Amino acid sequence: MKPDAIEALHALAGEYVLGTLPPEQHAAIAERLSADPALRAAVDAWEARLLPLTELATAQPPSARLWGRIQRSLDELPAPARASQLGWWQRLGLWQGLSAAGLAASLLLAFTLLTTPAPTTRYLVVLVAPSSQAPGWVVQASDSRVIELIPLGRDAVPEGMALQFWTKGEQWQAPVSLGLVKPGEPYRVPLQSLPPLEANQLFELTLEKAGGSPSGLPTGPVKFIGRAVKVI
Amino acid sequence: MCSGRRNEGRLSRHLAIDHLRSLASPRPDGRGTWHDSRKPHSLNSPAVPFDFQRCLQACAQGDRPALQALYDHEGARLLGVARRIVQDDATAEDIVHDAFIRIWTRAASFDPARGSARGWIYSITRHLALNSIRASRRETEFDDVEVDAALAMRGGLDGMDLWSGSAKIYRCLEQLQPAPQRCILHAYVDGCSHAEIASLLGAPLGTVKAWIKRSLKALRECLE
Repeated sequence: MKPDAIEALHALAGEYVLGTLPPEQHAAIAERLSADPALRAAVDAWEARLLPLTELATAQPPSARLWGRIQRSLDELPAPARASQLGWWQRLGLWQGLSAAGLAASLLLAFTLLTTPAPTTRYLVVLVAPSSQAPGWVVQASDSRVIELIPLGRDAVPEGMALQFWTKGEQWQAPVSLGLVKPGEPYRVPLQSLPPLEANQLFELTLEKAGGSPSGLPTGPVKFIGRAVKVI
Repeated sequence: MCSGRRNEGRLSRHLAIDHLRSLASPRPDGRGTWHDSRKPHSLNSPAVPFDFQRCLQACAQGDRPALQALYDHEGARLLGVARRIVQDDATAEDIVHDAFIRIWTRAASFDPARGSARGWIYSITRHLALNSIRASRRETEFDDVEVDAALAMRGGLDGMDLWSGSAKIYRCLEQLQPAPQRCILHAYVDGCSHAEIASLLGAPLGTVKAWIKRSLKALRECLE
């Protein structure tokens, strides 16, 4: 803004606060104030500058009935006019709505928690070579129906031989064959015919003749062995 | 109203002069001259500063006693300001009534960044009073020629050189020539229009306008 324009702005604001502008111009300025920050700042500055001059008017105690009149007028004020001036954080409706939503959410959560079946226990077995304790395979059971045998490396199996997968629960009479395993390939076993997995259940891979142990029990050397542990 | 009613205008002007004199010479008891001796308990007592801003915040929350505290503390002074402009007791009380309703309903819109809470309250009251005399001026359309300019000038500008108030603006006003000084006071304190001041001072309208313009510039520079 040019200096002349600034001077004109201050002069206009000064006369507005002084009260000497013609009524039409005074009303026009009052109208402009909300949309013109520069003019508003100039007017505010003049209000502050001239305020001490109000001391020159002799104080005059109001009549006894004036306060009663003010109170009656306040009582007649429409209530919504006041409510709309409250900040959003003071609006009762907002907080009522939010707390109702919060209550609904916690009820839904409680219902979900109570009706969802407890998650199945998960087991993990690390099969290690008995001599070196080097891990060779991992058995993972994420649900009660299927276990998964995952190779950690690639084992050499002599010609005419095969790896057979066995398991035996602590209370079982004998191990049960879970089938022949190809070296280096994952293997999935359905468990329908077996009791559920339990902690400390034994798993092993033995070296058998191609086609598997003819007796139905492990006969060859144990290549890898491990016990099931519960995963928390 | 300033010169619309001659006798009241004269009375008002004399009050102004008396007041300026009394401001210049402190009373023996050391109390401020605008201490109302009839009600010394609350009026203008500077011992405990009144917290206008907190009062407005409480009003914005719907705290009716806060508004009453403001009324008890400032009502008489606000009425004095309004009475000086409208020159009528009943109208002045109407103004203060309207001002307190407005303070109550608009307290939440008060912005401390724009000025003091006390200034906001006085500004509301003054502008209501100014609007009131503007409306009545339109109705009466008084004739400037009827105003006895010579009478308005009687009493001159004596006492002005002794004048001193507490705020800096009084020091700045002192630096103005007496006539321009009176223009500012008649406008701000009495709510006079250019024409009314011209009649009171017996000066041409154009001169009064120029005095006011120059005085405002000088005041602004002095207060910067």
